[in-house]
Amino acid sequence: MAIDVTEDVDHTTGTPGDVLADIDGRRALRGLGGVLVFLLVWTGASLTQPSYVLPTPFAVAETSYAQAASGELFVALGNSVLHWVPGAVFGTGLGIAAGIALAWSPYLDDVSSPVVRVLRPVPPLALVGFAIAWFGINHAGAAFIIAVGAFWINFYATYGGVEGVSEDLLDVARSLGVQGDLDLIRTVVVPASLPEITTGIRTGIGRCWMLVVASEIFGVPGIGRRILRASNNLQVDVVITYILVLSLMFLLVDVAFRALQRRALAWR
Amino acid sequence: MAMNDVTPDEEEAGVPRVRIDGVGKRYEGSNGPVQALEGVSVDVSAGEFVCIVGPSGCGKTTLFRIIAGLESATTGSVSLDGDRVDAPSTDLGLVFQEYHLFPWRTVAGNVGFGLEQTGVAAAERERRVRKLLDLVGLDGFADTYPRDLSGGMKQRVALARALAVDPGLLLMDEPFGAVDAQTKKMLQDELLDIWTETGKTILFVTHDVEEAVKLADRVVVMGKDPGHVRETVEVAVERPRSRSDEAFGATYERVLGLIEG
Repeated sequence: MAIDVTEDVDHTTGTPGDVLADIDGRRALRGLGGVLVFLLVWTGASLTQPSYVLPTPFAVAETSYAQAASGELFVALGNSVLHWVPGAVFGTGLGIAAGIALAWSPYLDDVSSPVVRVLRPVPPLALVGFAIAWFGINHAGAAFIIAVGAFWINFYATYGGVEGVSEDLLDVARSLGVQGDLDLIRTVVVPASLPEITTGIRTGIGRCWMLVVASEIFGVPGIGRRILRASNNLQVDVVITYILVLSLMFLLVDVAFRALQRRALAWR
Repeated sequence: MAMNDVTPDEEEAGVPRVRIDGVGKRYEGSNGPVQALEGVSVDVSAGEFVCIVGPSGCGKTTLFRIIAGLESATTGSVSLDGDRVDAPSTDLGLVFQEYHLFPWRTVAGNVGFGLEQTGVAAAERERRVRKLLDLVGLDGFADTYPRDLSGGMKQRVALARALAVDPGLLLMDEPFGAVDAQTKKMLQDELLDIWTETGKTILFVTHDVEEAVKLADRVVVMGKDPGHVRETVEVAVERPRSRSDEAFGATYERVLGLIEG
């Protein structure tokens, strides 16, 4: 049998998983320029103001070093991580599971739709009372606040992804021996909606870092607590130090997750 | 040539591989009920290659979906080897115009999908996938993702994937409708080779009269309003068939006349 496979094959495959492949020199240079301008404007502005309104970048650098050297910074970070991790994990997991279940089953969707609509707009911070009553002033209570935030982002991202799964792919899978909802979900629904699911996870874990501050408002120790306490004492340099720690953590986790996401979605 | 390659058992029993018996389909449309199909009856013997042709709107695709078990008939029934078809199963290998490959799986992953579901061990699976890729001329593309394949190659993968679970019937809905003319001709020749090699029973839906006459043992011509079988035309043309053949031309004109008539 003479089969000729000389049709146009698209060879534009990149190198998935390579984060550095993204960074192009000119963009990086412009970014660096932007940072310099920002620091200059900041310095200029801070020279005209007392330090409790706006400290200089140098003062912040000094404070950051002192906080790190004394170990206080790492203790706060460690405390925050202790509720950030369980909050993100539970919120993400439950959000994805609920998103799949409701998007897959019209019955479950009908049953839960009114409740979902009522609960959806509730800001996590409004649930502080429940966090204290149900879990106490501890890591579990803070994790609860964080989990609520992660839940909705993952729920809606997953729901949208699952809703968009092609009926035709499901038909093909059935004709190839896949039987039952759970097997269809495992073999087709989850892999087909993985782009949306992973985008939800990524957005969610970012949101969890923002919620760290809110989750510590009722007295659980961590970065947020430090920011709130320093704010009360007008220690703006300390506030900025811990804001930078949050940003850095957000950035690190985001870059790491993005690398994972690219690997998982290499087929796209 | 594997024409009418019926095993003695089935011949004795007198049961055709596929029996489409008085199938009708009625929809509730926005302007009242629509009769899409009425009284469609076709028998296909084991090993036979049958094409269904008809103008657009004659219910070909609806018939395809009913035979595949993806939709139910309002009246009548479809049976495969005597068993009624009411849901998709591995007895029916489906090939669609739009391929419907699993984009997150490699070529080998797509072809092996059905074998995984039916519990074939990994080593055996790999062996069979390799054999199928060889059959459709895609050896060397096992680890490629669908996104990097041309239309013709995607359809080869879809064909191999359908063949993997060894279905009793290969059911194809305008499989070569989305590729260019040259690729189409190539894929048709390949399909005939694969048919000869595997002895599969094939039911092939198309709107392309030339394609039907080139491929089929018999061409079922459908008419519309509502969709029904107008006539079945035996294609008594020696294979390999050539368009310039007089018998080919005559059969082509006859089928075309039936569609236009």
